[in-house]
Amino acid sequence: MTATLVVFLAPLAAAVLSVLFGRVAAWLAASGALASGVAAAAILARTASGESWEASVEWLPGLSVSLSVTTLTALLGVTVATVAFFVLVYAVGYMAGETERTRFFASMSLFLAAMQALVLSGDWLSFLVAWEVMALASYLLIGHWHERGDARDAASRAFVTTRTADIGLYIAVFLLASTTGTTSMAAAAPGGPATALAGLLLLVAAATKAAQVPFQGWLAAAMAGPTPVSALLHSATLVAAGVLLMVRAFPLLPPGVLLVVGLVGGITTVVAGLTAVAQPDLKRLLAASTSSQLGLMLLALGAGSVAAAVFHLIAHAAMKSTLFLATGVFQRDRGSTAFRDLLGAGRDSRPAYLAFAVAGLALAGVPPLSGFWSKDAVLAAALASADAWILVPLGFAGSLLTGTYVARALRLLWRGETVVPGPRGGQAGIRSDAGGVWMRAGLLALGAGAAAVGLLARPLEELTAMTLPGGWGAVAMGLAAAALGLMGGWLLPARRLLGGLLPWAERGFVVGGGLAAFIVRPVQRLAMAIGGFDRSLHSLVGGAARFALALAARVSAVDVRLHRGVEGAADGALSVARLVQASDRDGIDALIAALARGTRELGRAGRRLQSGLVHRYLALTVAGFAALALIVTLVVFV
Amino acid sequence: MSVLLTGQLVAAVLFGVGLYGALSQTNLVMIMMGVELMLGAAMLNVVFFWRYLHPEMYSGQMFMLVLMTVMAVEMAVGFGVATARFRAKGSVEMEEAGELRG
Repeated sequence: MTATLVVFLAPLAAAVLSVLFGRVAAWLAASGALASGVAAAAILARTASGESWEASVEWLPGLSVSLSVTTLTALLGVTVATVAFFVLVYAVGYMAGETERTRFFASMSLFLAAMQALVLSGDWLSFLVAWEVMALASYLLIGHWHERGDARDAASRAFVTTRTADIGLYIAVFLLASTTGTTSMAAAAPGGPATALAGLLLLVAAATKAAQVPFQGWLAAAMAGPTPVSALLHSATLVAAGVLLMVRAFPLLPPGVLLVVGLVGGITTVVAGLTAVAQPDLKRLLAASTSSQLGLMLLALGAGSVAAAVFHLIAHAAMKSTLFLATGVFQRDRGSTAFRDLLGAGRDSRPAYLAFAVAGLALAGVPPLSGFWSKDAVLAAALASADAWILVPLGFAGSLLTGTYVARALRLLWRGETVVPGPRGGQAGIRSDAGGVWMRAGLLALGAGAAAVGLLARPLEELTAMTLPGGWGAVAMGLAAAALGLMGGWLLPARRLLGGLLPWAERGFVVGGGLAAFIVRPVQRLAMAIGGFDRSLHSLVGGAARFALALAARVSAVDVRLHRGVEGAADGALSVARLVQASDRDGIDALIAALARGTRELGRAGRRLQSGLVHRYLALTVAGFAALALIVTLVVFV
Repeated sequence: MSVLLTGQLVAAVLFGVGLYGALSQTNLVMIMMGVELMLGAAMLNVVFFWRYLHPEMYSGQMFMLVLMTVMAVEMAVGFGVATARFRAKGSVEMEEAGELRG
């Protein structure tokens, strides 16, 4: 029990102490992560014997907060803490010479604490709390360089996008709690439409957090944060929380929803893979790649294999953090992450390039590196599922694209292409050169992890008592995808292969805007349609008036020549026309003008209330309450 | 006169004093003191109701603690605003603070 608490309280304490003792913030953060990792390993060792327990505290009558410790949650806790520890070690070097180190390390610790609490939470209530704290910490970290406009925008965008989708999570939790009568995650779902709806809403929240189609846009923008933040955010924490949510909700999901989960993941892995191939900036390439790999995890979940998804999550955490940390080294050397500034950067810092290559090849699925094992498990899960006809092609295409963009990045970093067109997406330079040792230490440790995690597949299977799907078909398919992708990416100018798709892919497939595409544009279109209807009505009335006028004029011209007596009729027609015209002007136009005037007057009256003077507001409040009290008294007693 | 009624009267007087203070003063600190008195009156009411109507329900005490926390937080925010205002303008006279005029 104590160890369970230490897992997330140690980083939390580190966050608080960092604020008090800013000088040693880095050491506090690193030791907080270390303590968290050791505690997680301890509970993992205890759960290894098949033990699992729940601890709950009743903090309000009928409302308890509980922690659930199973092999799965302990394993994820170890992964998160390990990645975070090495990223923090790396950050000691990366942030050397920065001014706001205290804030940075305190936020990182808070972030870690929130993720650990999320991993261990046993009921929806504490899950929501951890989820919220993590959203806050990610906002602080993405916007760390808040003096830069793009960082501010990216932080707000990430926050608003994920928070909007969190409404789905809230409604889903409400549905689940009201149908089962408890907030515990272990409660069996009652089935039926309520569960299906809750599952879909959870998927919306998870897809947004995990940057899945159509919400993937914020992740590329989040690259504006410091590189260690990207490394942590993309590997084991923020985006992984989306997958974690689906893993925890997995027992609740009916088959129909699972198919949707698999399709969202499959489509994302292809779309984000294409996006990654097109990116002119290394960090943005990695961001799109993260979306793509998380798509594979959701695909595995949709195919019904939690084990494959979790295993890929762990392997991906090691691989992606290594890739980002190596990118940080290149960024420090060249002062940018745009490919045109990074040409040949790998030759300048070979240890970083080595780590990048190992992690990249692992990501592409080259045996015996970790990605080979995890991706095979995902593909095997897809092959074994009932919906293999759609999931397998999507998974294969995703793996193929992974190889392509990895090979492209490796080639550009080593040899360079002569011209890389595209907008400049570079980052501001890193100011200091100190701390290279720390960066290399963190980088190489994680690189070794990226290489070796795959060998843990068998022990992990025994530990968690889950079976990873496997089979020669999946192995052959994975190898074919990796080989074809890598060759394609290395030998062919991949960006040009995309052809007409390129500008679209470069912007991350505009739907990436998500909100912009699905809410703003329809509203605009509706407003435009209403405006057009209004205009056409107006011109109809005007046209009728004009027509009557012309008719009257012609009649009068003919009649003047024929007979004076007919002139009277012409005059009559003319006056009818005038009447119509006058009604148009004085009736409809005056009505619209009066409406506008009325609105303006109302606004002016409302403005007068906004005096900005506190005591006037107070007086108004008191008067309002008095009136309310009077009404209540009258209603109750009369 | 029962103790409960006495308590209610004291609270009412306290509330009236606070209301008068909040409405009549122009200094932000003084206004907040008025608000403080009103909150105090409300809390006094809560305590008296709990003690003389439902002394067996401990949730009354819990509610009291929550109220106290809210009060402390509110005052912290209020004085934060006052400090920021004083640093920026050199005064906390609310007659002069019309910048938020719509």
